[in-house]
Amino acid sequence: MPVAAVFCLLLWWLGATPAHAASFTASLDNDTLTLGQSATLSLTFEGGSPKNTPVLPDIPGLQISYVGPSSQFSFINGQTSSTVTHHFTVTPQRTGDFVIPALTAEVDGVRLTSQPLQLRVVQPSVASTSQINSGSQIAFMKLMVPEDKVYVGEALTARLEIYLRDDVRNFGNFQLTGAPADGFTVGKLREEPAQRAQIGNRVYTVVPVSMALTATRTGTLSVGPLTANLVLVVASPNRSSDPFFQQFGIRDPFGNPGGAQQQISLATEMVNVPSLPLPTQNVPPGFNGAIGQYTMAVTAGPTNVAVGDPITVRIQISGRGDLGSLTLPNQPAWHDFTIYPATSKVATANPLGLQGTKTFEEIVAPQNSDVHELPSFAFSYFDPDTGNYRTLTEPPVALAVRSAGATPVPTLAATQTANPQSPARPEDILPIKDDLGALAHAGPPLITRPAFLALQTVPVLAWLAAFVWRKRTDRLANNPRLRRQRQVAQRVRDGLSDLRRLATENHSDEFFAALFRLLQEQLGERLDLPASSITEAVVEERLVPLDLPEPALNGLRDLFQLCNQARYAPIRGSAELNSVVGRFEKVIGELQELKA
Amino acid sequence: MKFRSCSSERQFALIKTKHEPTHVGCSKIFILLFALFFAGNLLAADVPADFNAANKLYAEGKFGPAAGAYEKILQSGVASPALWFNYGNAEFKLGQPGRAIAAYRRAELLAPRDAEVRANLAFVRNQVAGPTLRQSRWEDWLGALSLDEWTMLAAGAFWLAFVLLALRQMQPAWRPRLRGLTSGIILLTILSCAGLGTAATTHYSKPTAVVIEAEATARSGPFAEAQDAFKAQNGAELAVLGRRNDWLQVADGSGRIGWLPVKQVEILPGA
Repeated sequence: MPVAAVFCLLLWWLGATPAHAASFTASLDNDTLTLGQSATLSLTFEGGSPKNTPVLPDIPGLQISYVGPSSQFSFINGQTSSTVTHHFTVTPQRTGDFVIPALTAEVDGVRLTSQPLQLRVVQPSVASTSQINSGSQIAFMKLMVPEDKVYVGEALTARLEIYLRDDVRNFGNFQLTGAPADGFTVGKLREEPAQRAQIGNRVYTVVPVSMALTATRTGTLSVGPLTANLVLVVASPNRSSDPFFQQFGIRDPFGNPGGAQQQISLATEMVNVPSLPLPTQNVPPGFNGAIGQYTMAVTAGPTNVAVGDPITVRIQISGRGDLGSLTLPNQPAWHDFTIYPATSKVATANPLGLQGTKTFEEIVAPQNSDVHELPSFAFSYFDPDTGNYRTLTEPPVALAVRSAGATPVPTLAATQTANPQSPARPEDILPIKDDLGALAHAGPPLITRPAFLALQTVPVLAWLAAFVWRKRTDRLANNPRLRRQRQVAQRVRDGLSDLRRLATENHSDEFFAALFRLLQEQLGERLDLPASSITEAVVEERLVPLDLPEPALNGLRDLFQLCNQARYAPIRGSAELNSVVGRFEKVIGELQELKA
Repeated sequence: MKFRSCSSERQFALIKTKHEPTHVGCSKIFILLFALFFAGNLLAADVPADFNAANKLYAEGKFGPAAGAYEKILQSGVASPALWFNYGNAEFKLGQPGRAIAAYRRAELLAPRDAEVRANLAFVRNQVAGPTLRQSRWEDWLGALSLDEWTMLAAGAFWLAFVLLALRQMQPAWRPRLRGLTSGIILLTILSCAGLGTAATTHYSKPTAVVIEAEATARSGPFAEAQDAFKAQNGAELAVLGRRNDWLQVADGSGRIGWLPVKQVEILPGA
């Protein structure tokens, strides 16, 4: 049952017809504004809604921005009505009378037109000196330009002061709504620390704001009137001093502790400043428009270079003025150098950017080996305080320039047509290279190639081999027995070859002479005796106590006897001599194993 | 090794009796190596002609085709400072400062003391707005030599030092005369190896990314829906801090950190 009732109610609501036909009206919440204030323009559609958001035409002097829509729906005595309102913020840019023309919109296929609206914008009243001194002004602004004259291109700092009376507890939402400047470009703004000042019989808090201005033309320039909106919180004695609490001498804990909020508009007078052209007399040849007070430091390096090598020239210009617009002047004396585009960076010393250091880095390359110095660098500027031009000059930098050999000297496209006496600063990249140069197969760096790393072990191995060789050589040199041992071993090896040859040739005498000599050498080395002192008797005297195996001793005895017999016995055959060689080898082997 | 095992006699034999299975493997390797050798020569022979053709396109103001021609040569696996330099010029003329900077930097890696490369690189960098990555003076000094030059210097000093040490072992009488030279060369070896180590560390652990799109938006996380961290202009050079999938964590010259899609940048090794 309740569901059916709701359904019927919905059908009835859907079937209900609007009370009126669609209408379109435009309205302003305030038709008279002080410059700096804004008004809300409302476009109201009743009984329908436009297909698209209405677009307002451009009205010179008015800045109109869309805020958004709102809608309202009413249901009275079975009649429904809907209202859609589109809101716009209208902010005047200047004083005067403005007309917001009739607007047309299409609602449900019907074109509706609103009525035109009038808007008057008046100059905000500037407090007079008497009003300020009387203390009746809760807040006011002053604009001051320190210079009584400026030069075109000169940068200066104007000062805006916001005065707030001592009963202003707080302020906020400060918005500079108008800063007209004729002949000036307005730069950065910077709020300075607040001060206090006695004006008349009231104390004011002064909030200074610095403003960077640059004169762009000659003639009478003007800045202002500056207009601003801000919200003040003013002490409200009525609300903060409830009698109940006053009788106890305490503050009303339920009162508004912040006081009453108040939005006000402030304005300054317009300030006119004459702007003079730069003097045309005594203009330095390299002057390129720099205005201010500057100092300069120049460094260059490296100073020992080949022809075509880059030299980095660092030029630091410090001081007060429009640092951002400073450019390097051409240096005609640098005709022997190729000059590449300079890079620059600015380090400002104050928030307005009118004081600091601009550093240029310029790469130059000597074009021939006859260059012995980087000529002096000159920078000219106009000093507005004295009204004179000044030129800063840094002394030449001595250079040692050697011939480059095959190193190509970079050439500039711009210099090919320019006057060689005054090389132009290139404004484009250098042209392409015609020479392909040495081609390389793109690959990983050498340090990651295994073959290259393996190659690095070669010198280490060579050194290790030399080291081991040296150690062995030294050990041999310091050990005569070892040296003799090796020499004898070598002689025995050589002697065996001789023995075999002599046996084959059946030269018995030479064979046994050689055999005896080898036995002497080997036994002398083992027993550390001179080889010539070795006889058969040594076997019994020296070898028996050394526990040489009996077969070896017998072998030695036999060999000695053979040698002795050979002097008297007839010549033997080759076969027998070869068997002697075998016995000699066996004995020698056992002797070499004997510990000396 | 297989090639070395093929004696000339066996090669001669296989020409006469190709059906012999034992010789087929050697012949294929030989023919393949022969073909590769001549193919390499033919490729090298074509590069100067292609280079000149690309230069001609550039001179005619056809920067797009010229850039394509230079790129094609580079894709064939060969490179030279002039090739990268001219490619950078063509990309700059096409309004691609990021690709130009990347090309000039690759040319600088091959020829770090080329004044023309440095001048064009400085010029294009000057055109790029916003904070950019600056090398320290130490890195500038190290960058005066390429990584391969540092390697050759260190290897040369290393070899010389060990040759001198070996010579001292082999000729002890020369030791007094070689003492000063050996000490000097050992010191040079230590210094050059330190330079090589630092240059290699910079090369491999400090890659940079050059933005190659008109304006890249770095995000606070490695996904497209993350909040904007900062915007980098075409040509901005950024330090690469890390990588996750297709996103790079980068920092700009003012220390702001964000994530960029890999496709918006060209990654270069540290100089």
